[in-house]
Amino acid sequence: MNNEFNIVGKRVVRSDSLAKVTGEARYTADLKFPNMLVAKVLRSPHPHAKILKIDCSKALKVPGVKAAVSGFDSYGVKWGVFRYTQDHAMLHTDKVRYIGEDVAAVAAVDEETALEALSLIKVDYEPLPAVFDPFESMKDGAPQIHSEYKNNVNIHIHIDVGEVDKAMEKAFLVREDTFKAAGEAYAMMEPYAVVALFKNGYLDLYMPNAGPHVRAKALSNMLKLPLNRVRIRHINSGGAFGGRSEVAPGDLVASLLAIKSGQPVKLVLTREENATASRQVHDIVATVKTGMKKDGTILAKDYKVVYDGGAYSSTGPIATSIPFYVYEECYRFPNVRYNGYRVFTNKGIRGMYGCHGRAFLAGNESQMDLMAKELGLDPVDVRLKNGLKPGEVTATKSKITSCGLKETILEASEKTNFRKKWAKPSKRKGIGMGCVAIMCGFPMGFRSGSSAYVKINDDGQVTLVTGLVDNGQGNESMVIQVASEVLGVPMEDINLVCADTEVTNLDPGAYSQAAAFVGANAVRVACENARKRIVAIAAEKLGIKETEVGLKDRAAHSIKHPDKKMPISWVVREAFFRGEPIVATGSFFPHIDFEREWVTRPWGQMAGTFSFGTSVAEIEIDQETGKIKMPKFTSAHDCGRPINPMAVEGQMEGSIQQAGVAALTEGNLWDKGHLLNPNLLEYKVPLACDMPEIDTIIVSSRDPAGPFGAKEGGLTIRMNAYSAVACALTNATGELFTELPLTPDKVLTVLERKKGVK
Amino acid sequence: MKMTRVSFEINNEKVSLDVRPYETLLETLRERLMLTGAKEACGMGSCGACTVVMNGIPVRSCLVLAPEADGAVITTVEGLRQDGKLHPLQQAFMEKGAVQCGFCTSGMIMTAKALLERNKKPTKKEIIKTMSSNICRCTGYKKIIEAVEEAAKKI
Amino acid sequence: MVLPKFEYKKARDVADAIALYKGQKGKAVYLAGGTDLIPLIKQRLSTPSVVIDLKGIEELKSITNKDGWLEIGANVTLFELKIYPWIRDNLPAFYESLEATACETLQLRGTIGGNILQDTRCLKHNQSLEWRTSRGFCLKSNGKECNVVKGSKVCFANYCSDNAPALVTLGAELKLEGPKGERVIELTTLFTGDSLKPFSIDAGEILTYIRIPAKKTKGAYEKLRVRESMDYPLVGVAVSSVGVAAKICVGGVGLQPRLYELEDAGIETAIREIADKASSDAKPVANAVVSPAYRKKMVGVLVKRAVKRAIGEGK
Repeated sequence: MNNEFNIVGKRVVRSDSLAKVTGEARYTADLKFPNMLVAKVLRSPHPHAKILKIDCSKALKVPGVKAAVSGFDSYGVKWGVFRYTQDHAMLHTDKVRYIGEDVAAVAAVDEETALEALSLIKVDYEPLPAVFDPFESMKDGAPQIHSEYKNNVNIHIHIDVGEVDKAMEKAFLVREDTFKAAGEAYAMMEPYAVVALFKNGYLDLYMPNAGPHVRAKALSNMLKLPLNRVRIRHINSGGAFGGRSEVAPGDLVASLLAIKSGQPVKLVLTREENATASRQVHDIVATVKTGMKKDGTILAKDYKVVYDGGAYSSTGPIATSIPFYVYEECYRFPNVRYNGYRVFTNKGIRGMYGCHGRAFLAGNESQMDLMAKELGLDPVDVRLKNGLKPGEVTATKSKITSCGLKETILEASEKTNFRKKWAKPSKRKGIGMGCVAIMCGFPMGFRSGSSAYVKINDDGQVTLVTGLVDNGQGNESMVIQVASEVLGVPMEDINLVCADTEVTNLDPGAYSQAAAFVGANAVRVACENARKRIVAIAAEKLGIKETEVGLKDRAAHSIKHPDKKMPISWVVREAFFRGEPIVATGSFFPHIDFEREWVTRPWGQMAGTFSFGTSVAEIEIDQETGKIKMPKFTSAHDCGRPINPMAVEGQMEGSIQQAGVAALTEGNLWDKGHLLNPNLLEYKVPLACDMPEIDTIIVSSRDPAGPFGAKEGGLTIRMNAYSAVACALTNATGELFTELPLTPDKVLTVLERKKGVK
Repeated sequence: MKMTRVSFEINNEKVSLDVRPYETLLETLRERLMLTGAKEACGMGSCGACTVVMNGIPVRSCLVLAPEADGAVITTVEGLRQDGKLHPLQQAFMEKGAVQCGFCTSGMIMTAKALLERNKKPTKKEIIKTMSSNICRCTGYKKIIEAVEEAAKKI
Repeated sequence: MVLPKFEYKKARDVADAIALYKGQKGKAVYLAGGTDLIPLIKQRLSTPSVVIDLKGIEELKSITNKDGWLEIGANVTLFELKIYPWIRDNLPAFYESLEATACETLQLRGTIGGNILQDTRCLKHNQSLEWRTSRGFCLKSNGKECNVVKGSKVCFANYCSDNAPALVTLGAELKLEGPKGERVIELTTLFTGDSLKPFSIDAGEILTYIRIPAKKTKGAYEKLRVRESMDYPLVGVAVSSVGVAAKICVGGVGLQPRLYELEDAGIETAIREIADKASSDAKPVANAVVSPAYRKKMVGVLVKRAVKRAIGEGK
C-alpha cells in the first residue's frame, strides 16, 4: 500500500536512536558548564499555611553558597494557561497550598553544600485548615484555597445539547452509575531538571519540555525580560506524557538563581520531588447516566464529573473538558449534558495526561456493555451503531473528516473472535472493548499552527528548522522522514534543528497531539516549496518539463527516462550562482473554529482532524485472590497513514502498558496531603513480566489534510485501553467496576458483590 | 571528610581516582568520569536506569558505593562499542524500534548484556524475567524483548 | 541523590569486621549487597558513621552440604542459591522464595544474610527525611505513636523477606559471631517483635552462616503482589513438608513471620482450620498498597494454596 512513496510508510530506524543506544544522547541532568552551581529547593511541609516570613540570611553565609531566592526575589507574576486561570506564582509569598510546594531555593558549589544551606533557611508558617477531598472542598465553610474561586470550584464546564431530560424519559433503558479512579503518576523516567545560564542579559534554559515557545513566553512574563532574551534550547526529553507542557516552578527557580549568582545553575529533582511537586494526574469521580433505545441507540447522556485539581489551575479548563470531547468525537449523542467541575484541594497540581479521564471513559464503555447485555445486544454492534462516520458532526459541532472507527472496531473484534468470546464468558475469563477518538490539535490561538524552514546546503544536504518537539515518541525522526520523502534525499542527509526558541518558529509542540498533523505538515509544505525550486532548475538543465522531474537518491531525474538525471547538489550550486539559494518556508494552520472557548463557548470545530481507535482486552480472574491476568491485548488505531509503522506500533504498545495494564496497577495513594507512593517501588509501573501478548493493528484512513494522509500516532489507545480492561471485567462478572486501578483487593470486592458477600 | 582512593578498570581503561567514601558509583561515573549514559531515575534501586555491569554482574550503580568498586572491572553503555562497531544489542535496539525517550535504554541494554554473558541462548521467558528488573515508561517492553532476542541470535 | 557522610571500611574477615565495629561505639552498620541498606541510608532511616563492608569476606561465600546440614555463607547471593541444583531439587519452598524475591538484577547482588536481616517496612515509614518530618515521626523513627493506626503505641511495619519464611519452615538455624563470641540460634528466635530492634542480634554481631537440615522436602512459596517482579510481598506463605507433616510460615504481615504446624497435610479440614487460624492471627493494617481486610483474607487463601501445592494437589 505504500509503494507510491520512497520512505513514508517504511519501518525506518529512528534518527535519534543511535545517540540513545550509545549513551551519547544528552539529557538536562547530563549537562555541564564551567562554574555551574547545583540548586536545591526548600519545600512546604504543610498542606496549607500562611507564610509569615522567609529568612535566607543564614543559608547565604554557608561557604560555597552563591545565591538564595524565595518568592520575595521574584516579581510575583501569576501564571495561568488562560487569562482567567492566572493563580500560580511558582514561588508564593502569601501562602503554601500543598506539601512539597516550592518555597525557597539555593545555588551552591555542590549538592551537599546546597542541602546544608537549605536546612538553614528559616520559614515561619501559620498552618491553616486544609482540605483533601473535592466533595468536602466544594462545601460551604470548607477552607478557601484561593480567594478568587468560590467553594474552591476552579472550573465548571457546562455543555447542554438537545433535550436531555425529555430524551431520558423516552429511552427504553436508563442507567446511572458512578465510577472513581485514583490519579496516576506520570512517572516519566527522567526526573524533572533545568539548567539555566544568564549571560549578557540573555537567559538560556534547558529542560525536558513539550512546548518551548509557550514556556519562553511564560518565563519572559514572570521574569519581566523581553521574550527574545529568554531562550529555551533543545535537549532530549526522557518522557512527558502530558506532564511537561507547562512552565514549571523549577524553571523560575533556576532562572532566578542564575540571574542572581551570575553562574550557570542546574536543578535536578529527585524522584520524590518529581512525583509530589511537578505535576500529578487528576483523581476523578464520574457519574454517567445513559438513555438507550431498545435497539441500542444512545438517546441521551447526562454527566457529572468531578476532578480533583490539586492546588492550582494548571490546564484547568482543558483537563475538565477533554475526557468528554474524546468521547463525543467517537459516538453520536443527540442529547447530551456535561457538567464537569475541577475543584481545588491541598494536594499537588494536576495536569493533562496522555491517559487522562479513565474513570469517565472506562465507566461509559463498561456501562454501555452492561446495557447492551440487558437488551440482548452485542457490544460490537452497539459501538458500530453509535459510532460516528465520516462527514458527521459531533454534538458540539466538530466535523469529522477521515474516520476509521468502524474499521478499527471490526478488525479488532475479528482478530480476537470478540463476539463469540463475549457471548460466552466464563466466571474466570472476560473480554472487553473500548473505543475513543482523539483530536489532532486543539484551539491554542495563533500557536495552533506551525511554520518550518528548510535550506539546502551546497553539498545537497539539508538543514530543517522547526519548533516541533520530541518527548520520546519519535517526532524528530518523523519530520526527517517526511522531508526525506519530499526532497528525495536520505534521512541521514538531513540535519534537524528543532525546539529552540531562538531559531525555530512557533509550533504547538508535543502537545494536543498536533505533531504529525500540524508540525509535520508544515515541514512537508516547506520541503515542497524547496522542491519546486529544485525541480524548476533541474527541468531547465535536463531539458524536460517540471512535471516530469522526480527527486530520488540525492538526484533529480526524468520520470520517463530515469537515466537522465543530475545530482541535487548541482542544482543547489546552480541556485547559488543565480544568487537565489534554495531556502523555503512552509506553514500549516489547521481548520479550527477560533471562536471556540472551553468555558464560555464550548462548540465549533475543535481540531483539523480526529484519530480513532479500538482496544480489546482479554483477562482471566483468579476467583480467590481477585488478581487479574491479561494474556492478550489487541489494539487497532486509525492514524490516517503511518509515517513510520514501527514508531506507531511503539506508541500503541506503550499505551497498552500505560493505560491498559496500568488499569490493574497504577494509582497515587494518599494520607491526607501526603503522597504515600512518590517513588517507583510502591507506584506500580507495569514491568515486562506484567505485559500481555500484544497485537497492534494500524488502520489507514488517509486523512485528506494530514501530511501524506497522517494523523496522530497512537493516543487513542492511551484513552481506550483501560476501558477495554474495565469492560472485560464486566463481561466476566456481570458487574461494573467502582474504582480504578483494579488491584486484586478491588476486584475481589466486585466478585464478592456479585456473590452477595457483605 | 577524607577522600578515598579507588582504582578500577572501566570500559577497558584503568582508572584511579579520589572519591568520597559515601559517594555512589553512579555519581562517580557521571560526575567524575563524565560517563552520563547511566541515568538516575529513582536513586533507590527500583528502576534499573543506572545499571552498569560490574565483574560480569548487572548492578544498580545508585546502590553501589564507589569504594565498593575498588579493583572491579566495569562496563558502561559507553564501553559497548568496539572499534567503532555497535554491539549487537545496540544494533538490535535501534532496528527493532526498542528506543523511545531513551532514558531507560542504557540500563536496559546493560541488563541484557549481562544476561547474554551468563546465558548465551536465553529463552523468551528468561529474557522477560531478566528484563523485568528494569522499568520503561514508553515502550510496553515488546520491542525491547524482541531486540534482546534478536541480539542473542547474533552473538 | 547524595548520601549522608559516613566512612567506608572493608573487612578482610569476620574477626576484622568485629574489630572495626568495636571501634565505632554502635554507630557502625554492616554492608553486604546493599540493596536494602543503601536505600535506608539515602532516606536517612539509617544514619551510620561507618559502613563496614562484609562482601570481601571469602569464607562467607561458600555453600557446603555435609553432616546432614546445608550450610550457606551469609554472603552468598540469592541468585547463586537459586541456581544451586540441590536447593531447587530438595528445598522447593526456599527455591521458590528466591525466585520470587525482588528482580533478577537485585538477586544477583543481594545476599541471603542481607535478605534475612532486612528492616521491616511500612508505607508511612519508608519515606524521605523531609516526608517523615512533615508527617511527624512514627514509632519506628523514635516518634510517640504509630502513623498508621492512630494512637497506637505498637508498630505494625511488615517484615518483607521472602526467604526467611521459607527458611523457617525448613527449621533453619543462624550462626552468629560477635564481640562476645559465636553462637547458633534457631531462625524462629531471630524475631523480637520490637520495631526499633526487630532482630535478637547483639550489637556488632554478624550473621555468618545459615544452616538448613539437608533433608529432601516438598514445599511451595505463595506470594501476593501487584507486579510479578520487583515487589515486596503483601502476603507471603511458605510451606515445607516431610512425610505427611507440614510447616507453614506466613510473612509480609506484621513485624515477624508466623509459624504453624500441620500434623497431617492430607486432611482437608485441618488445612482449612490452620488457614483460618493464620488469617485470624494476621493483623494487617493500612500500610501497604492493598486494603488490610483483603490481606487478612489472603493469608488464609495463600495458606491453603501453598499447602495444596506443597503436597502436590494444587496447580
